[in-house]
Amino acid sequence: MGLSVEHFGRTYTTATGTFAAVDDLSFIVGAGEIVGLIGPNGAGKTTTLRSLAGILRPTSGHLRIDGHDLIEAPLEAKRCLAFMPDEPHLFEYLTVEEHLRLVARLYGVTDFDRRSATLIEELELKGKERSLPGELSRGMRQKVVIACGLVRNATTLLFDEPLTGLDPLGIRRMRNTIVARAREGAAILLSSHLLHLVEEVCSRVIIMDRGKKIADGTFAELAARPDLVTAGSSLEQIFLRVTGHDAQS
Amino acid sequence: MLSASVYIIVCSFRNQLSVRLRRLKQPRYLLGAIVGVAYLYFSFFARWRTSSRATAARRNGRSTPLPAMMATLTAAGPAMGGLALMVVTVSSWIMPFNSGLLDFSEPEVQFLFPAPVSRRQLLIHRMLRSQIGMLFGALIVGLVSGSSLGGFTRLRVSIGVWILLVTGKIYFTSVTLARARLRSRDARSRRVAWLPIGVMTAAVAVVATALTREFLQTPPSGFEEVLQRLGRVSTTGLSAIALWPFMAMIRPLLAEGPLAYVAALVQALLVTLAMAAWMLMSDEAFQDAAADVVARRSVEPATTGAPTYKVRSTGWMLAPVGRPETAFAWKAAMQTLRTVDKRSMVRMLAILGMLTAVAASLGQANKLASMVGGFSLAGTVFAILMAPQVLRIDMRQDLGHLELLKTWPVKASAVIRGQLLWPGALITGAAWTLLAVAMFLSGTVLPSVSLGWRMSGGAALALLAPSLVLSQLTIHNAVALMFPAWVPLGNQRSRGLDAMGQRLIMLGGTWLLLMLSAVPGALAGGIVWFALGRFVGPVALLPAAAVCTAIVGMEVLLATEALGPLYEGLDVLAVERSE
Repeated sequence: MGLSVEHFGRTYTTATGTFAAVDDLSFIVGAGEIVGLIGPNGAGKTTTLRSLAGILRPTSGHLRIDGHDLIEAPLEAKRCLAFMPDEPHLFEYLTVEEHLRLVARLYGVTDFDRRSATLIEELELKGKERSLPGELSRGMRQKVVIACGLVRNATTLLFDEPLTGLDPLGIRRMRNTIVARAREGAAILLSSHLLHLVEEVCSRVIIMDRGKKIADGTFAELAARPDLVTAGSSLEQIFLRVTGHDAQS
Repeated sequence: MLSASVYIIVCSFRNQLSVRLRRLKQPRYLLGAIVGVAYLYFSFFARWRTSSRATAARRNGRSTPLPAMMATLTAAGPAMGGLALMVVTVSSWIMPFNSGLLDFSEPEVQFLFPAPVSRRQLLIHRMLRSQIGMLFGALIVGLVSGSSLGGFTRLRVSIGVWILLVTGKIYFTSVTLARARLRSRDARSRRVAWLPIGVMTAAVAVVATALTREFLQTPPSGFEEVLQRLGRVSTTGLSAIALWPFMAMIRPLLAEGPLAYVAALVQALLVTLAMAAWMLMSDEAFQDAAADVVARRSVEPATTGAPTYKVRSTGWMLAPVGRPETAFAWKAAMQTLRTVDKRSMVRMLAILGMLTAVAASLGQANKLASMVGGFSLAGTVFAILMAPQVLRIDMRQDLGHLELLKTWPVKASAVIRGQLLWPGALITGAAWTLLAVAMFLSGTVLPSVSLGWRMSGGAALALLAPSLVLSQLTIHNAVALMFPAWVPLGNQRSRGLDAMGQRLIMLGGTWLLLMLSAVPGALAGGIVWFALGRFVGPVALLPAAAVCTAIVGMEVLLATEALGPLYEGLDVLAVERSE
């Protein structure tokens, strides 16, 4: 199952006219797979993730979550999905526990008490259950967003810079959580500028630049590409070569 | 720094203007702008032209001279205004007033605080940044003041108001800085901070003594004499000196003739300069005062005017399984219950109950009963017809959380229905409470109407209230989905000519749509009334209202379904966000 992106495009209208943030993008993330989505700033990663989360409407193409088209069957698609954005958007008047409760209600989580207790423990939110977002640090707010994403049994997880604001222990736990969810069969798409994280947890990587996919494959496949053979073995070296920045660096 | 401040102001203004102008490419915003311009023209400029003609007619000798009372009132204007200003300035020491000058925005804190910029320069920057708002405010006051005033007089009023606003802002900021200085560890600094308090106390004592002497020894015979004596206090002795700065700020607004105006303007500017010098000399307290503001901001909501939420036990825990509409209602209820204390609400209801009981026990002849009853009835009508416009804890506020809402697997129509539930229940509850009081005291409010009619009419209104409230809320939410950039997010207020036009369209449109949506229900209710009225009398109002409310309720349900595609198609980028 997992997620599939077919000829996806999204344009924006600005003062200077329209420009394509993403153009004819296609890829698949299978169940149990962790795919890294990387690219320079303005490559179209966040637009892709936000469109997959149902926040932005695609201008063209099809986005499918577990086989459900996001436009034709949005409710079924969203039920299988958890999106963890880089910027934590929370309701300033709901406590941590109430955020989890609200999400549980909207996604129909029946074993809420057990799940929320585990997550609160796992994400070190113990003692903060009755805190409002305004009383939490940025890292803590990020953890609440992650907890909201994990409180239900999503089969597809989208992470946009999941480690932003987390402390070293939080980073390690987050990394383990991502890997554990993939082992349980979730399809995971992870966007990050932390290439060592991508290299460590992802089984495949998609590199985007100026709205287009410029590379897609496992590290071994990418390293074996004729134009990348001389780039080096690390993801950073491959990334710089593919995006044409290795000469400048 | 001055050039950087001007750069920030000019760029912000230019970019805001450009965004608003670009928005006009969309017909819906263009329509709003046209309505806004038309409103401005017909409210101010057209009236202005008419009044100019009237002024010209007066000059031609066809008008009557000012009565003696008016002449006295005009002469005592600076004294009365000066006294009022003195009261305001004194009270600002007792009840701290936030001038907003130290409320640095988040980007300002991030960019300017770490920059090599002096405290004085930061104060001047904030002062400059606040000028556009104050100039606009002064211009509006000039435009709306006195329909008989000519164009030049309006300009003079605008300039006078602008100087008054600028001085007020500087003064209140200086008070904030002086208060911060009072907490200083440095004894000399504390002594300096006491100086303006000493001066102010002395001035108040002088004026109070003069007023006591003037009014207590021989009581005035009438209002005209009160004005004359006030004039005397403000022009003679020490009290004239004590009141001079306050009266100087008022004189430009009341000066007659260009020469008197220029003289008044010079005096007012002198006061402004003195205030500015005081503020800039207090700049050493700026660090503490600004740090207070930044610290307060870090624990309070970032948006100016946003409410502070407190975690309180609400007694309503959301079950993990159930209809999504209830989840939205619960969410909005939490928001309300975290801003309004449950105990305060109970206390308020208890006071209303006690007041009603006391009023009722005093009997029909007592005016308190008719007054409480009348207010309750007016409150009921206000709650039903106006509260849906004012209470915005629905999609109008949740547009700010659209990015989150859009990821939820909830049917669009259920989202909209959920958004309507809590405000609908809250307003209906308030309307019913007030209506109950009005019905209880209806004998004193409407003594000529029979008990049967009063009770049936009240009950019918109670039946109609939820559908009328929900119908209006649906209209407001529909507008939020159709014109998201027009809707102020959270506690913001949307600005611009098109936004003003939008508010006018909204007001007119809501009433029109409400009337149209009520037509089928009213017709059906009317039929029921005619069929049953002759047999059961006023009681027939109840089934008529029930039929009407059922039909309007059905319309609301259908409308939420019809609005679904609008919500689904809503682009998060269409929502306008501020700094």
